[in-house]
Amino acid sequence: MTDTRLLDQGTAPTRYARGWHCLGLAEDFRDGKPHAVEGFETKLVVWQDSQGELNALDGYCRHMGGDLTQGEVKGDQIACPFHDWRWGGDGKCKQIPYARRVPLRARTQRYETVERNGQLLIWHDPQGSAADHDILPPELPDVMTEKYTPWSWHTKDINGSHCRELIDNVADMAHFYYVHFAFPTSFRNIFDGHTATQFMESKGRPDTAGGGYGDENSTLKSVATYYGPAYMINWLEVDYKGFVTEVILINCHIPTGPSSFRLQYGISVRKPEGLDEKTCAYIAERYTESFGDGFLQDVAIWENKVAVQNPLLCEEDGPVYQLRRWYEQFYVDVDDIKPEMTDRFEFEVDTTKANEFWHAEVAENLARMAADGETVGH
Amino acid sequence: MASFVPRSPETLEDQRLYTEDRLVEVACLDCLARVRVKKNSDHQTSVQWSAEARSACQEFVRRDAGPGRRDVHKPCSRLMASIDDAVRAGAVSVGAYDGY
Repeated sequence: MTDTRLLDQGTAPTRYARGWHCLGLAEDFRDGKPHAVEGFETKLVVWQDSQGELNALDGYCRHMGGDLTQGEVKGDQIACPFHDWRWGGDGKCKQIPYARRVPLRARTQRYETVERNGQLLIWHDPQGSAADHDILPPELPDVMTEKYTPWSWHTKDINGSHCRELIDNVADMAHFYYVHFAFPTSFRNIFDGHTATQFMESKGRPDTAGGGYGDENSTLKSVATYYGPAYMINWLEVDYKGFVTEVILINCHIPTGPSSFRLQYGISVRKPEGLDEKTCAYIAERYTESFGDGFLQDVAIWENKVAVQNPLLCEEDGPVYQLRRWYEQFYVDVDDIKPEMTDRFEFEVDTTKANEFWHAEVAENLARMAADGETVGH
Repeated sequence: MASFVPRSPETLEDQRLYTEDRLVEVACLDCLARVRVKKNSDHQTSVQWSAEARSACQEFVRRDAGPGRRDVHKPCSRLMASIDDAVRAGAVSVGAYDGY
């Protein structure tokens, strides 16, 4: 028996989470062509039918495996490039032009679709249940109107990490200082049912040239809620030298394999009153850039770390175990969801000691930089 | 069926320590909700609700019935005051034990 702490890397699940997953901006699928989306270890085909509805099916034809994403939209259906089998949005084969009749069993994997806040969401469930519309993310009032800038939408493929690494951030107070260069002055979590929320207030570090969180002139009030396993809405109030901007950040992902996922994020900014369109667009682009940089800071960590099933925590850490217990509900059969996975849990992190230390460290850094004649490279 | 499966049995003990150990029951002074509480320091608080307590909390019942979009409810102020009382009365000890 050794008293050396061992890392338990655990075994990743063999399935993908049940719940709503966002595929991107709905608008981007509306050009009458089939679109390919990697997800759930396969490829999906997405297209718009003549009624304007968006449809999502497994991308491979059940006949001989042809790639439907390279097919053609014919009427309401997607036609396979191999033998022209026509598939409807309900997952049924509607027509085989050269055949007397369509086999009764010609049904493929279909994903229920919903448009929400200008985005296309699909329901994924390995058990094949009907979509649960009661747990959709909420509609965002005024977003998609002239009061907000249009979504600035971005995609980033992450390889070598399970998407739970991204979820862990919800409970991770201290990484905001080390990875995102901000002092988290207040940090709380609430997990309740299918939602997991992080409440945070932070201020940028003056000794770093930080991006979204790390600008010393800005103070953030952030409420970030996961609605299910893969879709987070982050309401941010950014105070930049007394000028307050409301920013909405969507952070969502689709798992693509056991250790890869596609991260997508979108930003919409409430247009400050009295500013012209050009300035509003400029502000939105700056925020998009800086929060995009924030994700890249996380990615650098994820790409090099190992999975750990038994994290060792100190008193200043957030409730990682409870967060993972919450996340587990999306990976077990509905009948196997235990009460503690969905029961409400509240946690407030004590940030006092951490901030005392961090402020002292930053003061030292600034003094050393002053002595060396260095400046913070903004 | 567990999904993320630990390889070491000791991990299960860690899970228990971090999620269950040292939780103390606290009853709300204003309603029938009974929750489990842990305080690792003056500013740190963990509150573990059950479905029963969640539906007994009058504050949450009111908020659930309120207008507007489904929102994530902030903590119930009555329960938080009850926890402060329990701490003052010495029913909930303050302090961590090796990080949990």
